[in-house]
Amino acid sequence: MKNAGQLSRRQIVAAAGFVGIATLAGCGGGDGGGDGKDLSRKQNGAMNKYRAGEQFKGTKPLSFAVLHNNNPNYPAKSSWLLWKRLTELTGVTLKPIAVPLSDYEKKRSLLIGAGDAPPLIPKTYPGAETAFVSSGAILAVSEYVHLMPNFRAKVKKWALEPEIDSLRQSDGKYYLLPGLHEKAKAGYSLSLRTDVLDRLGLTLPTTWDEVYDVFKAIKEEYPGRYPFSDRWSTNTPYPAAALFSYLGQAHGVRAGWTYLNQTWDAQQEKYVFTGATDAYRQVVEYLRKLVEEKLIDPESFTQTDDDAVKKLLAEKSFAISANPQELVQNYRYNLERQVRGAKIEMVTVPIGPAGPVVLGGARLENGMMISSKALDSDSFVAMMQFVDWLWYSDEGQRFAKWGVKDVTYTESGGRYRPVDGISLMGSAPDAPKDLQRDFGFSNGVFAYGGSWALVSSSFGPDERKFQDAMAQRKQLPVDPPHPLRSEEQEQATLWDTPLKDHVTQNTLRFVLGKRPLSEWDAYVAELKAKNMDQYIGLHNKAYENFKKAGG
Amino acid sequence: MTRRKSINEPSRAYRVFQGINGLVLSCVVLVTLYPFVNIIARSFSGERQIRAGEVTLLPKGFNLTTYQIVFSDDTFWRNYGNTVLYTVVSTVVAMVLTTCYAYVLSKKNLKGRGVLVGVAVLTMFFSGGLIPHYVLITSLGLKNSVWAIALPNAISVFNLLVMKAFFESLPDELEEAAQIDGLSTYGILLRVVLPLSKAVVATMVLFYSVSFWNSWFGAFLYMDRIELMPVTVYLRNLIAGATGGTGAGAATEQLSQVAANIQAVTIVLTSLPILCVYPFVQRYFVSGVMLGAVKG
Repeated sequence: MKNAGQLSRRQIVAAAGFVGIATLAGCGGGDGGGDGKDLSRKQNGAMNKYRAGEQFKGTKPLSFAVLHNNNPNYPAKSSWLLWKRLTELTGVTLKPIAVPLSDYEKKRSLLIGAGDAPPLIPKTYPGAETAFVSSGAILAVSEYVHLMPNFRAKVKKWALEPEIDSLRQSDGKYYLLPGLHEKAKAGYSLSLRTDVLDRLGLTLPTTWDEVYDVFKAIKEEYPGRYPFSDRWSTNTPYPAAALFSYLGQAHGVRAGWTYLNQTWDAQQEKYVFTGATDAYRQVVEYLRKLVEEKLIDPESFTQTDDDAVKKLLAEKSFAISANPQELVQNYRYNLERQVRGAKIEMVTVPIGPAGPVVLGGARLENGMMISSKALDSDSFVAMMQFVDWLWYSDEGQRFAKWGVKDVTYTESGGRYRPVDGISLMGSAPDAPKDLQRDFGFSNGVFAYGGSWALVSSSFGPDERKFQDAMAQRKQLPVDPPHPLRSEEQEQATLWDTPLKDHVTQNTLRFVLGKRPLSEWDAYVAELKAKNMDQYIGLHNKAYENFKKAGG
Repeated sequence: MTRRKSINEPSRAYRVFQGINGLVLSCVVLVTLYPFVNIIARSFSGERQIRAGEVTLLPKGFNLTTYQIVFSDDTFWRNYGNTVLYTVVSTVVAMVLTTCYAYVLSKKNLKGRGVLVGVAVLTMFFSGGLIPHYVLITSLGLKNSVWAIALPNAISVFNLLVMKAFFESLPDELEEAAQIDGLSTYGILLRVVLPLSKAVVATMVLFYSVSFWNSWFGAFLYMDRIELMPVTVYLRNLIAGATGGTGAGAATEQLSQVAANIQAVTIVLTSLPILCVYPFVQRYFVSGVMLGAVKG
């Protein structure tokens, strides 16, 4: 008797479970209907004839929720002039959902996965949107860019079509409104102790061969020390990620941070495996030479950033990878206080066999995803116009970056400055107010990309020099689109990681001399055993398919 | 002459053993204490000394900039208040529910006891996953309230089982006597069982409050506004901003100093309250866990 009673209880529990699952499944399939293309009933608050260069102003007061990446250096305040002035200008009140910067991606995935995302989801890097495409939670924005005259004008004016095409998924649509740059902004390069170079009668190197000579000369002067000890080896899947990245660029190949398993070979008109190319091998050989002759600290590939900087400050090394911020705020600032007469400069990325080039595709910034649910709103058109104005019009971009003329900034002859009493990123350390913290402008959620004049308007002198020189370089062509279908994507991901790991591990072993370079062919054979050819085949097939479909 | 002087006098070998024991344990204490002392020292030290690796046991280049920056921020205090509120509410809720559940389970004559235990233990091995969990909390309307933090974690199965074992170890005769004297079930629990269970209750309060105090994930998931976040989320974000490559911060001494010891300051600030409470609860803590574990 008792036994039978218990059994029935279990059945009840099981049945309840099934009902629950069924309900959940029902919910998932329910909301798909409705023709999205008919926008005539979604015109609430929209402007009738909204054109590029025109001020957007909603015909009714509107309000949109936006995911807000809360940067601790300028935590969001409701008192920001940004919100107030934005409402005055556009009639739109933004309702920020604050997400700590530390875990922004995590919460974004969760909200999208749970169907609870706000309509505007900014700060999404190109490629990050792919994971959400198959769920249908993200709007195919390419279908609606006709509502965005400024966006289209900028894509056309700056010839960004190939970059935009690279965002297309296998259905030919794209799901992200990327940030657009007129010119690619370079990030990292080598920095060297110029006072030491001067003392030894050396000049700043411009090519990788000169870099080698300079290191060699420093080594002769200081035989017990390493001329070069590098960083950005921890908290990244690649060792010395920055160095590999700009050294690879000089060889015309993606390595380090920018590494991708597939590389477009323009001569053969097909994708090839990056880690097996000759260019990649040259990168490895170059570094092997530096390690072998003790010109680079072998710990460069494993040590923490802190340790690398400590060696620089203790004069145990004389060169280190840099970006303009680190150069000014960390190396130079600390060196000047600790080492008498120390000077450090960042060189424009030394030129290698590929000539004066920068890699393609760097003109897209992080941008905005739009939640599919936004399409159901009757003010959808107004929202797209608003996004177009704030993120893509010259006027909107200037507003987001600098704020209100004569209130937060002054401009004359193309030179922008915060007004007296306001500091921007330490420009006036004694100023009582800060453009980011107290006004909300130059906020990474709203202000990025734009014309070179605008982007460069906030550069410090070092960065200006560096960026101007880098902007002269020729950009390599962007990879042609090769979108994978979702099941292909899954298969590719399974092959992708082991291949990448094998490349990374063996790159390190070759460079450190733990594996002789004569075994390169064996290494390529190992890659083949890890499905290298199938992986590349998948991408080539996707490329062919996309081309055939008239992409 | 060779006779032992007294039975109480420890033997030579035992004294040697105790000496070595003390020595080894002192080493263990030093090893475990050192990182913490070092952290405290770093939190008060100057940036240059920290970067040069000079700080060991005592602060060098005494500096309070990071503390000043953290303390002068309204959000910090509001979030600290939230942490206290969330911890207190969550701990009270958790204690009430866990005690009731554990007491019920400790009754061997209860019908369906196996199922009740099974339901609890099942959650130790299986969970619904992050997104269903989030959907549930959201559709119950708990988002942006303290209940989103307090309710989902109200019963920790491990704590439940420890408490259950403790209650089971109390002699049945006591409760029978109370029953004969006319106490109801709740009366027995409140007036007889709980006063006898101070040790385990104190232990559980400590377990729960420490875990709620340190937790950040629940609040991070279910809170949409900065002023609702606990201090753990605030400090976590501060660390990310100071150490991440994303922050194009200012070239000021301030920020440089903050980046150097924000982690140390954070650790000190979050562990301080727990450190203050610990000594007072600790005596229960030791006996409490022992009592629960070794019954009979």
